[in-house]
Amino acid sequence: MNQELKFSKTHEWVKVEGNIATIGLTDFAQEQLGDIVYAEPEPEGTVVELEGIIGTVESVKAASDLYAPVSGEIVEANVEIEDEPEMINRAPWETWFVKIEMDDLSQLDVLLDQDAYDEFCKEEQA
Amino acid sequence: MKKTPLYDRHVALGARMVEYAGWNMPVQYEGVRDEVLAVREATGIFDVSHMGEIRVKGEGAGEFLDWLLTRRVTGKKPDQITYAILSAADGGTVDDLLSYTMAEEDYMLVVNAANKDKDLVHMNESLVAYKEAYPDRKADVEVIDESDLYGQIAVQGPGSLDCILEVADALELTEEEREELKGLKRFRQMFVPVKGESRDLIISRTGYTGENGYEFYIPIAKTEHYWNIFIDAEVVPCGLGARDTLRLEAGMPLYGHEMSSEISALEGGMSFFVDLQHEFQGSVMKDKVTRRQIALESDTRAIPRDGYEVYVEGVKAGVITSGTFSPVLEKGIAFALVDIDTPEVSHVEVQVRKNLQPFTVVKAPFVAGK
Repeated sequence: MNQELKFSKTHEWVKVEGNIATIGLTDFAQEQLGDIVYAEPEPEGTVVELEGIIGTVESVKAASDLYAPVSGEIVEANVEIEDEPEMINRAPWETWFVKIEMDDLSQLDVLLDQDAYDEFCKEEQA
Repeated sequence: MKKTPLYDRHVALGARMVEYAGWNMPVQYEGVRDEVLAVREATGIFDVSHMGEIRVKGEGAGEFLDWLLTRRVTGKKPDQITYAILSAADGGTVDDLLSYTMAEEDYMLVVNAANKDKDLVHMNESLVAYKEAYPDRKADVEVIDESDLYGQIAVQGPGSLDCILEVADALELTEEEREELKGLKRFRQMFVPVKGESRDLIISRTGYTGENGYEFYIPIAKTEHYWNIFIDAEVVPCGLGARDTLRLEAGMPLYGHEMSSEISALEGGMSFFVDLQHEFQGSVMKDKVTRRQIALESDTRAIPRDGYEVYVEGVKAGVITSGTFSPVLEKGIAFALVDIDTPEVSHVEVQVRKNLQPFTVVKAPFVAGK
């Protein structure tokens, strides 16, 4: 599954359509965070650098940021997750944070595929 | 990293394990929210075997502890437990603890795992200082670390008494012991002899959740046996994540947050547990109060976290000392430490990442126990 997705080492998934990257939080990350009770994407129109902040999630006990796996402009922000942050726990692959219009497609080359990401998570957990 | 006698059980139950105060502890099993709600609505159990037990006994032990702690332990009923603060000579906080009376001139102090070694050093140094300051007082006192002799399980929630009575056969409680347990008042303890063990099981009506609850101090080799009895009865196991959220909802302090070597018991909101009428080592704290505690609830979805800055009427007044999302109230709650001359206001702002967010000043506890 998820063979069409790419992954960052900061646990974002990336789905690419043309020059638009849809970005969310991986299943591994939501599992590690536990009950997510707050979520906020950075607003539409924000220009983000590579590894800039594109959103924030908080579980009962901790806050953490999502980082841009690609640079560009946020052309759409999924504000629905602000009302239903628990969707990230329930459906991490469908619950996206932002869509970025990429300005440098070569940044995709360094992202991990599913197998490499799974391996990375295993190492991180050990 | 140290492991409690229940480490293998936690792993078998699928807990997520984390390091806490040098111990490998379960932070959550199914999830913090469900575990918090289980304790608020029914019953949960916690492995708190990491807590330290320090025995203080010998002629003059009671008077020594009176001088060492912010409240007297003497003059109490024999089964009465005292919550008190161990303060340093400069008034800062070394630890907070429960003092159990085991017998005449024989006390067991239950201390935070992270502070236990520091507490032992402080207590032994203080004993020397005490003997020098009061050469006329008897002080044949021994300070003994008994932490490795006990496992500890907390059974917490409105259903906790019924839950213990339901498994009373498995716990091998006699009829008399069951009656004693039913009549046990808050902050009282009872002793239960355990077959094949020289030490009694201690059951106290205490806890760190704001709900009715009981804590079991178990001869360490029997800890797993008792834990399994509750797990087999389908009591919900709860981790440190739920424990911290429950204590904050209940308005209870945590060492290293509400009080520390830099924050005295009076500043940290514990004046109720400081008896300034009695002579004690850290009493100078009363002359050094420069900050005070306030309790906050979020007016928005914003969740306050430790270290966030608090602004009153546009001026930085202090910082959050503990903050979390309350699963019961479904909003952010926090304790903050603000300058003593901060005006009394009903609303403040907290810097949450880039923005100042509105919070209402409330009275702790945030959630009242049932």
